[in-house]
Amino acid sequence: MDRNYAFSGQFCYNPGRMVLGRKIALLHLNKDSVEILPIPLDLRNKFLGGRGINMYLLSQSYSPDLDPLSPENPLIFGAGLLTGILGFGSRINITAKSPESGHLGDSNMGGDFGAELVKAGLSHLLIKGRSRKPIYLFIKNRNVEIRDAQKLWGLDTVDTQRIIRQELGDEKIQVACIGSAGENLVRFSAIRTGMKNSAGRTGMGAVMGSKNLKAVAVRGNLDITLSDPKNYLKYYLRTLKKLMNSKWVQALGRYGTPLLFQYANAMGFLSIRNNQLTTIGEQGYALEAEALEPFSTGMLSCFGCPAHCRHRFSIEEGQYKGTKGEGPEYASIGSLGSKLGNFNLQNILSATELCNRYGLDTISTGSYLAWVMELFQRGIIDQKMTEIPLNWGDGKTILKLIHQIAQRKGFGNRLAEGAFAKRIFGEVSKDYLLDIKNFPIEMTDERLPKSFALGMATSTRGACHMRSRPSLDILGLPEKILKKIYGGRVSDQFSAYSGKARMIWWHEIFNALCDALGFCHFLTVFSSPHAPQYNEFSKLIALSTGLAFTPKELKIIGERIYTLERMMLVKDGITRKEDTLPKRYFEEPIPEGPAKGEVISHEEFDGMLNEYYRLHGWDENGIPKRKKLEKLGLIKKE
Amino acid sequence: MRIEVNKEKCSGCHLCEMVCSLFHLGIINPEKSAIHIDKDDLDTSLHTPVLCRQCKKMKCLNAERLKMTPERKKFIWDRKRAECCPFDALPILGEEAFHCDLCRGNPRCVKVCTPGAIQIFK
Ligand code: SF4
Ligand code: SF4
Repeated sequence: MDRNYAFSGQFCYNPGRMVLGRKIALLHLNKDSVEILPIPLDLRNKFLGGRGINMYLLSQSYSPDLDPLSPENPLIFGAGLLTGILGFGSRINITAKSPESGHLGDSNMGGDFGAELVKAGLSHLLIKGRSRKPIYLFIKNRNVEIRDAQKLWGLDTVDTQRIIRQELGDEKIQVACIGSAGENLVRFSAIRTGMKNSAGRTGMGAVMGSKNLKAVAVRGNLDITLSDPKNYLKYYLRTLKKLMNSKWVQALGRYGTPLLFQYANAMGFLSIRNNQLTTIGEQGYALEAEALEPFSTGMLSCFGCPAHCRHRFSIEEGQYKGTKGEGPEYASIGSLGSKLGNFNLQNILSATELCNRYGLDTISTGSYLAWVMELFQRGIIDQKMTEIPLNWGDGKTILKLIHQIAQRKGFGNRLAEGAFAKRIFGEVSKDYLLDIKNFPIEMTDERLPKSFALGMATSTRGACHMRSRPSLDILGLPEKILKKIYGGRVSDQFSAYSGKARMIWWHEIFNALCDALGFCHFLTVFSSPHAPQYNEFSKLIALSTGLAFTPKELKIIGERIYTLERMMLVKDGITRKEDTLPKRYFEEPIPEGPAKGEVISHEEFDGMLNEYYRLHGWDENGIPKRKKLEKLGLIKKE
Repeated sequence: MRIEVNKEKCSGCHLCEMVCSLFHLGIINPEKSAIHIDKDDLDTSLHTPVLCRQCKKMKCLNAERLKMTPERKKFIWDRKRAECCPFDALPILGEEAFHCDLCRGNPRCVKVCTPGAIQIFK
């Protein structure tokens, strides 16, 4: 953080234990220097916390010339404003310039790590520089220690956590760390905590690896005082009760996100064989939530979450006997399963677990594997390069390639470059990597749901469903209800274009706010119209921190965060022409299944974009207008 | 009345701990709660909520010759007494221990335990 900023702002009146008293630690690994500073109230007022403050911090050093793997790239951890207290999730964002896309990088992680950081009296870490030797950080109640990690280098992400706990003699320590993938600068490596929680997307693990930083370990037991504890508790219990009555949250608690796989397959928006198909019909039963149940050993929550959507699994017999872990999420089942034509659930469980251990993003791993499998299918690359045949659905090959990628061995060394491997595979290969802003699309196909398609095209971190995906669109709610939520007309037809720009605009802003608060999208209006949103957020913030924001003001904060992200992309030269979709979406109608014939029309898509820019207050090229920036306080008034 | 534990159902969310400290002390600190979750989050095994069992004969008080009823109603106990609990059921932090007073008849933790791992047993 710019020090002047820190000292010019008005400080929080109670520096100690209030929610607003959480501090930021600035670290420079070249100099082994650590500085702990209060977070100015002004910054909290503008960006709240989590992703919001992270984006402010990143914007301070963001430039097109900033090399993501250089010491100058800041690695930023930011717990949400209400992380670690009784809220609706306790999440943390990890942000830096992305080595995977070359643009904005940001990933949101659940588990217990964010809450522990907060209990240790901090909410943000800003890490710059590069240590000469492998190190890890140990943070205990606002005391930061830099420790040697040479013995940890090479360990997987679960063993790393275990050994650190042993070394420091405290089982309650929470650790965020990288595995071999991050150490080897695989461009799509994750930062991991617990058995499977990951800041998976955009390669934050490689940024950590480039700093020779193996892990951040935290432990805290400081009191957190709330502004109005009595009424906070009362209000929380009331809101919780309402949330838990929603059918969606109940189903999520039983089946987890694999529940969504069923919808995608039945409606035809699943990625099969790199989006050559979008449904597998009855074959899909093998990968549905119920198929997971025989392996499930119970459900698990992230810190402070009432929904408990995480499976624990154990494979007791057969080829993959002895594999244990957590998950997989719908995104991993899709990415390492159907997207690769792989319908062997046990193989998918093993592949997911292997990625988690190495610290690889399961989504990107699946996407790049799908890419090269299609290149192989079409003869654009051959066995001379790949050494082994890359056949759809070949579980053994999938596992082998995961090992190779993480260790940067053989063909895996090329794959480890992610989308940058286009340079290696040649010009023709480009059309078969379905990416947006140099970042691969995920487990779904967006030719049917036009809202999803627009959200992918405009997301500030490249193709991504977490920036805006309006899962509500799946439910086919009456237009009257949609209008009430979105404040304007939205079509109730899943495949229609009309009003969908409004939906995406609305969710982009809302999700940015959720991530600034540390809330989990699943516990908000993401999937249920009855779940907490602006009104509830406003009350929870006031009763816990004493800051008074109207729902309208909160919306402006979400908008400020999203627009600031957009401004960083604009610096990179990203404008309207990059807010687009893979060629396949425009040119190849879906060949079969319930979504047969669906394709994106250039004209209609352009119409959505126009409407979307208008709602955001951006010009027709997607560049935020001066007036908008002034209104959001992102530039000074002339 | 006591809180009955069904550990198979516990998801390890820590909501009960937060609510307990918030209700009694007006702060959030999972370590200043009468209930605590024994959990190994790097394993796939179960989590176990642990708290005072409201024993009829309170072995924890043996050394002190006190009347049981007033002590049952206290939330903050001292460490030494908690160390006499044969079940190690009370969380200890520094010299203090935290004893389940059943929220004076209206347990709060059970209200946030969505999987039903802790329930009121009358
Ligand atoms: S009943 Fe009340 S005192 Fe006892 S553990 Fe639950 S919240 Fe704490
Ligand atoms: S609230 Fe229930 S599920 Fe959550 S940790 Fe406590 S006992 Fe376990």
